[in-house]
Amino acid sequence: MFPRRRKHFGTPADKATYATLHTASLASPYLREGLTPAAAGKASRHLRDLLGTAAIAICDTSGVLAWDGVGGPYESNHRRDARSLAAPTLRTGRTAVLGVHDVACGDPQCPIRTAAVAPIVIEERVVAVLVAYSERTSAALVRATEEVARWVSGQVELAELNKERTRAMEAELRALRAQISPHFIYNALAAIASFVRTDPERARELLLEFADFSRYALRRGGEFTTLADELRNVERYLVLEQARFGDRLTVSLQIAPEVLPVVVPFLVVQPLVENAVRHGLEGTTGVGRITIRARDQINEAEISVEDDGVGSDPEVIRAVLAGESDSDSIGLGNVDARLRQVYGDAYGLVVETQVDAGTKVTFRIPKYSSGVHASP
Amino acid sequence: MSSAMSLTGIGLVIVATIGIGLFGLRISRTTSDFYVASRAITPRWNASAISGEYLSAASFLGVAGLVLVNGADMLWFSVGYTVGYLMLLVLVAAPLRRSGAYTLPDFAETRFESAIVRRICSGLVVGIGTLYLLPQLRGAGLTVQTVTGAPPDVGAAVVAIIVVINVAAGGMRSITFVQAFQYWLKLTALATPIFIILIAWRSGDHPVGVLQSLHGAAAEWAEPLSTAGGRDHPLYATYSLLLALCFGTMGLPHVLVRFYTNPDGRAARRTTVVVLALLSLFYLFPPVYAILGRSFAPDLVAGAADTVVLELPSRIFPGTAGDLLGALVAAGAFAAFLSTSSGLTVAIAGVIDQDLLRTRLTRLTGGDYLAVNSFRIAALLAMSVPYVAFRVTGALSLADTVGLAFAVAASTFCPMLVLGIWWRRMSTTGAAAGLIVGGVAASAAALVNVFGAPADGWARALVVQPAAWTMPLAFITVIVVSKLTPNTIPAGTARSMVRLHTPEAVDVDRG
Amino acid sequence: MSSLIQSQLRLTLAVIGGTGLILGSIPLLFWLAPATRTFAIFGLPLPWIILGIVVYPVVYVAARIYVRKAERIETEFTEFVGRQ
Repeated sequence: MFPRRRKHFGTPADKATYATLHTASLASPYLREGLTPAAAGKASRHLRDLLGTAAIAICDTSGVLAWDGVGGPYESNHRRDARSLAAPTLRTGRTAVLGVHDVACGDPQCPIRTAAVAPIVIEERVVAVLVAYSERTSAALVRATEEVARWVSGQVELAELNKERTRAMEAELRALRAQISPHFIYNALAAIASFVRTDPERARELLLEFADFSRYALRRGGEFTTLADELRNVERYLVLEQARFGDRLTVSLQIAPEVLPVVVPFLVVQPLVENAVRHGLEGTTGVGRITIRARDQINEAEISVEDDGVGSDPEVIRAVLAGESDSDSIGLGNVDARLRQVYGDAYGLVVETQVDAGTKVTFRIPKYSSGVHASP
Repeated sequence: MSSAMSLTGIGLVIVATIGIGLFGLRISRTTSDFYVASRAITPRWNASAISGEYLSAASFLGVAGLVLVNGADMLWFSVGYTVGYLMLLVLVAAPLRRSGAYTLPDFAETRFESAIVRRICSGLVVGIGTLYLLPQLRGAGLTVQTVTGAPPDVGAAVVAIIVVINVAAGGMRSITFVQAFQYWLKLTALATPIFIILIAWRSGDHPVGVLQSLHGAAAEWAEPLSTAGGRDHPLYATYSLLLALCFGTMGLPHVLVRFYTNPDGRAARRTTVVVLALLSLFYLFPPVYAILGRSFAPDLVAGAADTVVLELPSRIFPGTAGDLLGALVAAGAFAAFLSTSSGLTVAIAGVIDQDLLRTRLTRLTGGDYLAVNSFRIAALLAMSVPYVAFRVTGALSLADTVGLAFAVAASTFCPMLVLGIWWRRMSTTGAAAGLIVGGVAASAAALVNVFGAPADGWARALVVQPAAWTMPLAFITVIVVSKLTPNTIPAGTARSMVRLHTPEAVDVDRG
Repeated sequence: MSSLIQSQLRLTLAVIGGTGLILGSIPLLFWLAPATRTFAIFGLPLPWIILGIVVYPVVYVAARIYVRKAERIETEFTEFVGRQ
């Protein structure tokens, strides 16, 4: 609340802690990118600040990933030697302390005379080592080097986890694509088959729609598409469903053309429509009505899918969105999770429903979001 | 002129604008048909909408007023307003669309990967928008004053309130249909009186030697590069004005927002070409008003020159016919303020909401607020700043203030966009430095202008028309600073370049 | 890729240079040859004809030419990349 008072905060020890934490926080974003040479290079400066040594190096089995030091004429030699100094620790995973005869060069002025080598361990595997050079190696420095290496391990592990999560998302998307198919393919083909004799021309058209639909749904690449493409696919889907249900399914689309170019996650509307068709027509013999709306809200597009079917218990939907239930509304949970992952928690699905009162699912998409671009 | 009839005309425009905004949306969008997804907005509709939003009070009233007073040199205003779109077309139209940016700060963020550059851009959007809204309010005040005799504050307040209510209620979204309608309304309102005058004149009712008035006493007025109206160094002023108008258009906050509606880069280009045609058509008329005004309303030259478009019909046709035409023109003028002010307010409010207000509101309320309310507050802020500025600054010529808005845009966003799109070695620091240097220089000139410019000489010329020195200054700053700080060239530059320039038909990783 | 950007940039600079030359020389013409300031055609002074009417078709044609050429460059690029 009162940032100005921070100046008078705490003892010198507290301040030292803050300083350390701050330096660490500077390094962590780079480490979260994983142990690439670029990320390691940027992080190494802060890591050296953290240890306060003359130089540090990060090496893995392929060589020196990053070097940061005070400079001086002999630095390149030291840099070259770092790999051989690192080798034993990379093999054994044990911290090593190297003395003057291992490290120092001919120049007595050179501050790089001894080194502490600590392993960076990820999932029980030594992936790299941290080498801290100084004039004299103290027990405290060795200990500090070990701690920093352990902290780096944690950060890199988090990076791996992040990648893992992205991979999981992609896998989920693939699963969703695959999931649309069997359920729907059977019904669509059956509907098309029923027209082959009576109305071959229509059967042909439907078959073409079906081909386009599956090409879109099973396409490779790109996590994002435009709302126009997504809606076009929804329309194909609805044409096929109408062939199956005939007059029982009426659809109304109210789309503001201004939002058609908005970039949306791939297959974000389709699962909601599929849900609506199922809910709108399941358990009734009457007419099901589905309304799809896309409105322009200045910085955002608001998209909603509404049916007048059986509705559901809000508690059930809550469980689905929380991922605790895998009922037939699995599409909802998946779409919700992907929206939140891309745009943040403020952009999840909003579901309005009640038993026997239909269901309306709404979500918003910002017109611009950094890093989100459509691929054709 | 008959105030009752003109007021009715203005009232109709207001009711129609609000009505279409609030109710028309639902009607115009209801369709049970399939294949709506293929109905992207065509370049033609989009171009009408861009023109409708772009043709402001400065174009509708200001150009004719300036030409009436200062003569042929002022024709450059309408030329510049139009050529600005040619520059926008060849330099930025397609790449800007392909960047996926919705606002100028969005572009800054996606190209320079920097929150600071984004922040600077947000500030500039608000600044330029305010400078541009100022003359709209003044134009509204003038119109209401001409029609009813009420003080100018009244008209300005009316427009400000209507725009805020309309924008805050969600009526004035980027509805292409409404803005497109505004263009045709403005064109009709401006062109009809001229055609009727010309027809009446040819059939012998008004055998006035209008064209002869260009010779004789008004000879100096009709010549370019004259110092009529107390302008020194006309050659410098002409070039500087031309630069500002040509390169400022691409940096206007409400222009880019509309380009987003184009489905792809190619459509963005075609839209711009149609815009050029529509603007050219419109700008044929203001000079005619000025020429006619010179002979029918010479008293306005020394007084309320900006009202010549409003006054002329009733001066030429005393009686009901003139009143009707006067009402039409007044309605058109009001449409001009409403559409431009609404477009600007939406653009500014969007930026205020997204970059300045929302995070703060979230912190204050712990996330417990509605996104809609944040936008409403932003809309109120976006209009109240220029309204206060209007009350403080008082009488500045319409087109002059607009010229300054263009000068600031040309000295800030133009270098950022042009170099950002075409130069790979532009660094983030260079972008920030260019925006700051250009922005400070041009807005300093604008401020000096608002609060009392030097009386004459080069100092006055440099301050009144700053673009010729502030724009090169900004470009040089970007280039020099970028050369000095190659380490801050954004890491994703290569990828950005691919995305900006590759046609959509090519399948590349746009990451 | 850089060849695409380069040819687009060349086209852009050509259009800017062309229109800049035409538009930029108009004030210079008036400045250097004062007779042109009052020269009249059909009773209308030349500056009014140029600035009030003639510039617009010129600008429009320049825009049309630019769009045609820019699209041709893109089509060629698309075909070239597609073939690879």
